[in-house]
Amino acid sequence: MHEFFAQLVNGIALGGIYALIALGYTMVYGIIELINFAHGDVYTLGSFFSLTILGALGVSGEVRGPLLIVDVGVTIIGAAMLCGIVGILIERLAYRRLRFAGRLAPLITAIGVSFILENVMQVWRGPSPVAFPAVFPTHIYNVGGVGISLLQLAVVTLAIGTMLLLEFFVHHTRFGQAMRATAQDREAATLMGIDINRTIALTFFVGSALAGLAGFVSGAYYQSTWFFNGFGAGLKAFTAAVLGGIGNLAGAMLGGFLIGIIESFATWKLGGQWSNVTVFTILVLTLVFRPAGLLGEVTPEKV
Amino acid sequence: MIFVYIGSTILVAAFGQRIHVPVARIAVYVGLALLLSVGPVLGLGSDATLNTLADAGIFVLLALGLNIVVGFAGLLDLGYAAFFAIGAYTYAMLASPQFGVHLPFWVLLFVGAALAGAFGIILGSPTLRLRGDYLAIVTLGFGEIVPQVFQNLTRFTGGPNGIAALDFPSLFGRSFGTAAFPYYEVTLGLIGVALVTARNLRSSRIGRAWMAIREDELAARHLGINTTRMKLAAFAIGAAFAGVGGVVYAAKLSLVSPDLFQFQVSILVLSMLVLGGMGNIAGVVIGSLVLTLVNQVILPQSNVLAQAAHLPVNLSNAHFFIYGGILVAIMLFRPEGLLPSAQRQAELHESVQADGV
Amino acid sequence: MRSLQSLAWQLAVAAALLSACSQSGHSAASKTIRIGIDLPLSGADASVGQSTLNGMVLAIEQADAKGLPDGFVLKAYPLDDTVQGIHNPQQGVANIRTFVSNTDVLAVLGPYNSNVAAAEIPITNAAGLAQIAPSVVADELTLGPAAAALRRVHPKTNAFFRVCTTDSRQGSVAARFARSLGFKRVYIIDDNETYGLDIARVFAHDFTALGGKVIGHDHLAADTQDFRALLLKVAAAKPDLVFFGGVTSTGGGLLRKQMFAVGLGRVPFMGGDGIADLATVAGKYADGTYFTVAAPDVTKLPSARSFVAAYHKRFHQALGAYSANGYAAAQVAIAAIASALKRDGGAFPTRAAVLRYVAATKDLATPIGPITFDAAGDMKNPVLSLYTFKNAKPVFIKLFKLKTQ
Repeated sequence: MHEFFAQLVNGIALGGIYALIALGYTMVYGIIELINFAHGDVYTLGSFFSLTILGALGVSGEVRGPLLIVDVGVTIIGAAMLCGIVGILIERLAYRRLRFAGRLAPLITAIGVSFILENVMQVWRGPSPVAFPAVFPTHIYNVGGVGISLLQLAVVTLAIGTMLLLEFFVHHTRFGQAMRATAQDREAATLMGIDINRTIALTFFVGSALAGLAGFVSGAYYQSTWFFNGFGAGLKAFTAAVLGGIGNLAGAMLGGFLIGIIESFATWKLGGQWSNVTVFTILVLTLVFRPAGLLGEVTPEKV
Repeated sequence: MIFVYIGSTILVAAFGQRIHVPVARIAVYVGLALLLSVGPVLGLGSDATLNTLADAGIFVLLALGLNIVVGFAGLLDLGYAAFFAIGAYTYAMLASPQFGVHLPFWVLLFVGAALAGAFGIILGSPTLRLRGDYLAIVTLGFGEIVPQVFQNLTRFTGGPNGIAALDFPSLFGRSFGTAAFPYYEVTLGLIGVALVTARNLRSSRIGRAWMAIREDELAARHLGINTTRMKLAAFAIGAAFAGVGGVVYAAKLSLVSPDLFQFQVSILVLSMLVLGGMGNIAGVVIGSLVLTLVNQVILPQSNVLAQAAHLPVNLSNAHFFIYGGILVAIMLFRPEGLLPSAQRQAELHESVQADGV
Repeated sequence: MRSLQSLAWQLAVAAALLSACSQSGHSAASKTIRIGIDLPLSGADASVGQSTLNGMVLAIEQADAKGLPDGFVLKAYPLDDTVQGIHNPQQGVANIRTFVSNTDVLAVLGPYNSNVAAAEIPITNAAGLAQIAPSVVADELTLGPAAAALRRVHPKTNAFFRVCTTDSRQGSVAARFARSLGFKRVYIIDDNETYGLDIARVFAHDFTALGGKVIGHDHLAADTQDFRALLLKVAAAKPDLVFFGGVTSTGGGLLRKQMFAVGLGRVPFMGGDGIADLATVAGKYADGTYFTVAAPDVTKLPSARSFVAAYHKRFHQALGAYSANGYAAAQVAIAAIASALKRDGGAFPTRAAVLRYVAATKDLATPIGPITFDAAGDMKNPVLSLYTFKNAKPVFIKLFKLKTQ
């Protein structure tokens, strides 16, 4: 029983990282229906930006007290901003021209951008995995015999907090309104005086900034990062977004947590080599019975 | 040498497409077919060249198959490599020391096609209710599951090592051996069959049904088209092409291992399709040739080429960058592909009527 | 329409130019000898591929700078066998055929991955082109009926050699070390790839045969950084040693690091030469790790010291796990080419002569110890060293000599 809860805690923390990546994925998908394969690489880029900022701040290990909040805050904001800008650039250079070219052309450019980003990171920080400073105190809280680290708590809080913030942002701000209008009907939105280009660019900014945030979190959590990480993580996060119902923020978070938990339990009970098979089998079965994901609504296809 | 071969093929295919006198067009294609098939018999092309062309040919087979699913029927398949794997493992298990079974290559071509096609139906049937990108992610899931299962079932598949030393095919008692030439000729023949099949399918009743489904599934259903059966047919036929490709691939490489069939392969074949011009058979051929050329010749030789051009750069660290750049550039400047389907182009631009390809 | 035609013309011009440039057949007057190198140079294996390539390039540059007889020039001819980020046997074979078709190429170095080697061996065997691999360790490439099947075109010719140990030797020696250090309950984890799976299998077998107990054997998932679920399971089994079959970049480094997060930090970690560079990822957490390397103590070997110094000077970076093996593989090829040149006095050596000299390599001094090949193409009388990490630096513990037939 003890191991069950230990695995659950681990799965939830892992799922929190997937959830953070999936939130950005789902936002971008929601507005232009593009499977942005480069999103996973923006996430990795976020961990490298964080590494650079931490280096500039002189952080090479554990930070305690109020300085922790300052250092982490500066790093997160910096990495998120930089990733957001990268996101805007990617949209402007690689996707905007293809907005009316069907769905496959942007899919292929997304793959191209993903390759380019991976190569840039490989040249920038080398082809080997790079160590990331253990910023957070390694204290482990004992909750009924199950160890929970501060970082695990932080990951989960961040994931849920971000989701709630985004929900508020999308439903209660002018920009959120513009986003939803653009997603629903671009022409009508233009007629309502919404600047489509700006709205889409801003969505990319927010989505990519979230990827940057996730990059910092995973770097701190695993104390390591690698230019090739984004591929696998992006695939899982996309799976999470679809499992929850793509375009749906709460769904992306739910999907992320579920996939983290499924992975943990599959590794525990079936062995690590079956964890990906289990995740994708559950994905397929879920979609067979709920064709729009867990929280998605079945809507008639747009014409 | 290889550049001349592929370059001339691309040129002929591109211009052949634009020549509107049918006789002339047929003459161009026949000439190309003769050059490609008889040339090597006369000693044209080194072993390395023919090898690359044969590899490119296998990708042409795959792309032609995926074109049926994605280009004709409009079903986005991101797990196409799974069927490729099934074809390859069919050959590996039934023509190798693995189980001591040694069936002939020519029989296994059909077995591989049939098995892959059957899996196309099995994997396709639960997904038919799904639309658009949900279908894409489910196929992606299958594409992740299949090679992983092959990797884990070590007793049957050799696990991550895969199966090596597969039988060389033979014809009239003569073994193919390791030379690329016989594999090249077989691949060329199979492409011929695949091209004819794809063309005939497109202009058949099934082909028109696929187009109808692609354009508007609801309307197609109202027209009395059995959309379920038609979609399954697209999945099965596309998968069968991949199965054939897999058998040839395994026989030529004399090896299978799970890492040969990962998601990247599905993406590569899809890129070939989209880059070339989806739905257009000549475009698909060109897309496959161009990307094989980039992946197998230009990128591995990038440094050699740079030296030859007296460029003082080390490109071995920039392969992804170049490859990604090529994908992005072609898509930005030719969003419909290098050789767009006239029909699809017409649809996209909503201008002139399609010229009845 | 017009843009299409212009594009087609541009393609044609480019094709003509490129084909003119890339022609490099060996003419009678050619004085350039090339050594083909096939390694994964981009994507997931780039870190190990690039650093192995560096070792090879260094040896070739040194030999060329020293000068070959009769004005011959020695050049490295590296090709990448990665496609879309993954090492690819099909691309490996294409590269080998490129080398075979280029008469300047007298020997081939590589590959890094066992399945790539399994696809390439039939080609180099058929061509009689010497191939020396720095690091592929699967037994069946050189031993038993599986290896014979790979060489079925010319069963009597062996053109494949390797300057590394085999999985079975390394796994078996690691098991003996582990028992001699007093470990009784081992939990085995491998990365579900060729090298890791095989070394783990042999270790499990021998460790049990020597009276130890394997209390669990698990595999890592691909494409993930999170191994805590697995390690929680390991922790519950309470092993006194965790044996890892795999390499640092496929999870070895993160696995070791995450052992500390689940309370397994005090349990020693052990593996083969694939985790010799563990500290690059695990840093100080590498302490308490044992690993075996198929070479004598490199800090005591003069050839190794000068190699390490030259490597730092040339590339300004730390050695990769197989840089020294890459250097040694190149040395074997260079020595054979030099012998063939000496014998033929001014003529361009034949591949057959180079192959014969490679097979006859005897006590060649390299950074990984003296190299002599047996009939199968493996190193004769190999030695293995046991190392541990102290303050994230490898420290030599003891040496083990293996007898071969």
